[in-house]
Formats: sequence, C-alpha cells, structure tokens
Amino acid sequence: MNINVRILTKSVAQQYAFKRIVTFSTKPTQQAAAAAVPQQQEVTGPTVRKPIVPAHYRFVYPEFLPDPKVEWRNAVREKLERLDMIDRRRQIELPEFYVGSILAVTSSDPHAAGKTSRFVGICIHRERCGLRARFILRNVIDHQGIEVVYELYDPTIQKVEVLRLEKRLDDSLFYLRDALPEFSTFDENMEAEPLEEGAPVPINDIKVVLRPRPWLERWERQNLLGVANIEQYIKDKHRKSAEKVQKPWEKYDLMKQYRATIPEEEQKEIFAEVHTELHTLELQRKRNKRKRTFVKPKHLA
Amino acid sequence: MLRTVLSDLARLRLNGSVCSVTQVREKGHLNRPRLRNPYWFIRQQRSQTDDQVTGENRSFIKEVIHDTYGTPALIKGVQTYEQKQLIKTNELPVPTEPWTPAVRRCGVIARKIGQYPLWLKNGERIRTTLLQVVDNHVIKYIPPEEYKPTQRPNVHNLNRYGCVLVGAESTNPAQLTKEYCGIFRDSGVMPTKNLARFIVSPQAALAPGTPLNVGHFRVGEFVDVRGKTVYHGFQGVVKRHGFKGMPASHGVTKTHRRPGNIGGGGEKGRVWPGTKLPGHMGNRWRISKGLRIWRINTKYNVMWVQGSAVPGSTNGLVYIYDTILPLRKPQAALPMPTLYEQPEDEAPDDIWYEQVHNFKDESITYKPE
Repeated sequence: MNINVRILTKSVAQQYAFKRIVTFSTKPTQQAAAAAVPQQQEVTGPTVRKPIVPAHYRFVYPEFLPDPKVEWRNAVREKLERLDMIDRRRQIELPEFYVGSILAVTSSDPHAAGKTSRFVGICIHRERCGLRARFILRNVIDHQGIEVVYELYDPTIQKVEVLRLEKRLDDSLFYLRDALPEFSTFDENMEAEPLEEGAPVPINDIKVVLRPRPWLERWERQNLLGVANIEQYIKDKHRKSAEKVQKPWEKYDLMKQYRATIPEEEQKEIFAEVHTELHTLELQRKRNKRKRTFVKPKHLA
Repeated sequence: MLRTVLSDLARLRLNGSVCSVTQVREKGHLNRPRLRNPYWFIRQQRSQTDDQVTGENRSFIKEVIHDTYGTPALIKGVQTYEQKQLIKTNELPVPTEPWTPAVRRCGVIARKIGQYPLWLKNGERIRTTLLQVVDNHVIKYIPPEEYKPTQRPNVHNLNRYGCVLVGAESTNPAQLTKEYCGIFRDSGVMPTKNLARFIVSPQAALAPGTPLNVGHFRVGEFVDVRGKTVYHGFQGVVKRHGFKGMPASHGVTKTHRRPGNIGGGGEKGRVWPGTKLPGHMGNRWRISKGLRIWRINTKYNVMWVQGSAVPGSTNGLVYIYDTILPLRKPQAALPMPTLYEQPEDEAPDDIWYEQVHNFKDESITYKPE
C-alpha cells in the first residue's frame, strides 16, 4: 500500500514538474506537456472533465500572458490590455505563427508607392507581451539582409499571412545574421503552403551553415541546435571559455523558472476570460476561408 | 569749548539713531517650531496586538463596520465598500460659478498601473501610462480664511485659496488609530489609507463625501502628475548622472566608473556647489508637467496619459492636477467643481481623444495622392 502510494505521488509530481511552462519558449516544453496529458488522464480516470480552454492556447496566443515580473503586474491594466487586443483581433486576423515560420506582412506605409508595402520573411524572434508584442522578419533581398520589426497590434498592419507554418530547433534565430545568405533567402512571391487542419506544427530540423568569424554574437556559448558548423570555426580557447560560462544547474532552479513564468492556474484564468471571444473569432475566420476557397464551377454552355 | 559740546551732542544723536533696537534676551521665542504639520499628519496604523478577542467579537466588529459603511464591493476595479450613506448625486447643489482659467480645481489621487502603447490616427505610435483613480472621496474643505499652513506652499496670494482634503482607498478602521479615524468622522467617509490636500479656489470647493472620478478630467486636456520617484539607493555617477565612465582596457586601472576630475585649481581650488557626484538617487517628489490625456475609461476609472516618464513605480501612488503650464491650459470649460456621475447616465466606457486610433476601428490606411 505504502509503496503504491509513494509511486503514485512520485509519478504525479513528475508530471506536474514537467507541465510548468516557460512563457515564451514553445518547443520542448510543449512536447513534454503533450506527453504528460494522456498519462494524467490514466491516473485520474474518466471523471475529470476536459478543460474548456485548449492547452495549446498558451503557444498560439503567447502575448495574452502578461510579463511575469511581479513588480510590473496589475490586474486592471492587464484586463484593459486584453480587451484592446481582442478589439484589434476583431478587425484583423493575426494567425498562429512561431519563430521559424515564414510570414508575409502587408502594412500601410506613407512613403511607399501604393501606400502599402508587403514584406516576406522568416520570423527570427518573437518577444514582449500585451499590446507591445512584436516580431522580427528577416529576408535577403538583392544580396542584402533585411530585417523588419513589426508590432503585432500595430493598426497600420493590414494583413498577416503565414506562408509556411513551422518551427525551428531554437527559440530565436538571430544566428541567421551570421549564416550564409541562402538560409534566410525567401521568394517574395511565395505561395502559401496550407497545413492540414488539426495537424501538429512541423519542426524543421534544418541545420544552418555559419560564415567564418567574426560573428555578431558568441554562438558557441548558446547551445544552439540549429547550427551545423560551429565547431569548424572555434578554437580551444573559445571552447574553454564557453564551458566556463555554462550554467547547467539552471534547469533545476525552480525559483528561477517560477519567476520567469506565469503559473498555470493564472494562465487558465486569463485564457478563460478571453477564450470564448478568441474561439468565435477562429470559427468565423474558418468559415470565411471556406467561403473564399469554394469556387463555383463555371456553367459551360 | 562750545564746539566740543556741540560735537558731543551730534555724536550722541547719531548713536541714538543707530542703536534704536533694544535687545531682548528671553527664552522661548527662538525655538518656536518652524514647521507645524497639518492636523491630519497623525499615526495611522494601530499597533496590531493579537489580544484576546474571541471569534464572535471579531465577527461582531466586522458586522458593525459593514452596518456603518456598507458591505465590501468591487467598485470600478478597486476593492472598497459600498458607501451608500455618502452624498446623493441627484441632490447635489448646482455649481453657481462657471469654470474660468484662473480657477484652481481639486486634484485626484491615483495609482500608476502600468504603461502600454496607443496609436494615433496618422499611424504614429505613442507611449502612454495608465493612471487609475482609486476610490477618491472628499473628506474636508477648509476655506481660505481658516487655511493657514505654516509651511507656505509656493503659491501666490495663498489667502485666496482654500484646501480640500481628499482620501483614497477605504480600509478597515479596526486597524487604524482612533485619532486618525477622527479625521473622517464629520465627513461620514470610511477611513482611507491615503490622504492628500489640494489647494483650490473657493469656487471649486467640494462638499465632504463627494466621490471624485476620472470624469473630473477631460480627454485631450493636460495634467501634471506628482509622484515619488523610484529609489535606487546610493548610486555612482554613471547611473545617477549618466556619466560615460572610462574605458575597460587600454591601460585604465581602477577608474572605470569614477567621475574623474571634479574641479580646477587656483582660484577655483575647491569643489563647486552643484558638482555632480555619487549620492542617493531617486525617492524624491517630482512632477511631470503637461501630460496630455489620450483616453479615459470610466468603467475602471483609468486615464491614459502621455509618456512613460511618470514618476514612481508601477502600482505606486501619484497625484494628478490640472496643469499649471500657461500654454497648455484647457480651452473648453472643465467640470466645476467636479463631474457628478449620475447612475442613470449612459456614457460610453471608453472615451478616446479624436487623434487616437480606436482599436475597434479598421486598420489605418493612407490615401494615395
């Protein structure tokens, strides 16, 4: 009996340890969460009701979670911010995308010829929360690397299209700045590649080839998964200094993790507030899309 | 002989005119206190002793508080008490005197609740700070004749102005001292955590118990916001004054973040007053003046104010006044003495300044020429 209980509690504790999720990191933790969910159902049995808010919302709408810094938080401000975000989302479709996805952003530009400009590029970074949420798109145009910072809720943005929905192995792809240009070159007239509905977002495990040093950052210190040839350009002294600054214990630092994340209960509360609104918007968009894709067969005389 | 007598007399007269002041040496007239704090500067918190109060008595105290001040309620996003005994908005006196630029109106106590961007209709992004007016009630009005502060504020013709005492954030009176609760007795307002005095013209006097809301201000007008800046402690010259410091290498030793030379020699061989040196940074009262109100939310009593340089930390207390900058004085009449909110009013929750883009509107586009 005792042994059973101990095993049970241990397994439960392990699941909960896995389920704590870093606000802005989407990859490994999500896999962990996905792995943990069916196990939990086994333990608790069929009596537990399915949560109303889908678990993937924290990855699809990361900017709805506030900054975890306690000193900057205020319930009323966060609520007002969320209302504004929903209001904006009613006007424009801001689709699900991740670092590594390829986007096309059409925005009003007073200096452009037609007063609008469209930029296609790979999302190399996504940061900040609430109305200041922003992302960086990168592309190489005429042999010149171009990066544009877009604010997600900027009302001058007219359209955000996801041309290819996928993830990469890392949480930010700043190393593309030091990679060979073909790794961040994307066709401006690229067609959208639709994913099947309900299919998981694919992870592109492409390994990027870096240019020789000097680099913009010390990539060898960042434990990057998506770079092929770091070893080629670093010497022993770099290797040694990289080893020195490693902090392998940080993944066990529960307090650090706690301070850097919004607790799960609070996440549920936040998404319960905006869930119905977001869900209806999603359904509406889906319906509209179907309407648009349906082409009436031409009546041949 | 005669000449000497005359000169003596002249000297006497001279002496007499110079030494007309009689020296009085007595105890007591020199050590008169220069600063006498206003009567509402009293110890606020009662010492909390867990004395032998039974659970029944505790609940009885709670009951009495709820009977006198109403039950706890969330009003406009602030946890407070329903104070129904307060001023009835429909029986209010109609203000006889209209607003003029010379009138000094009352201010409000607010909390800085955060900051986020808004966009103008021309696509420009502005940074705004959100200030929430937290449960303000007028506690007392002191007319000009009676208002005599020993510490004279820097205001012209002080005798022209009275003083309004405003309280914010009702709190449990069982935790406060008897003397502090006495301040609130005549007004009928529940004792509050925060008090502030605002110097007002007699035309802008307010009756005790009047609630002050964000409707006191108008969208598009300018306000001054006073707060205590974030305390950084004793800081060096790089952080405190933005000095550049010195290089990290190239033979520099021990002077990477030091001020360097602080003065010349010779005639000026001393540290001149006002020299920027290390010292305490922050924790000072500062007023940022002339901030435009871009947007107002009457449901949560929040105003969006220009800029992110409002003194104080998030969730810190600030005081909002009509601006004193002469070129930013309001053009249209402001509510006098304040806006009395009628419960049956069908005012919109959000009031946007005309230049600001409402998130409910369509995306901004530019017309081709």
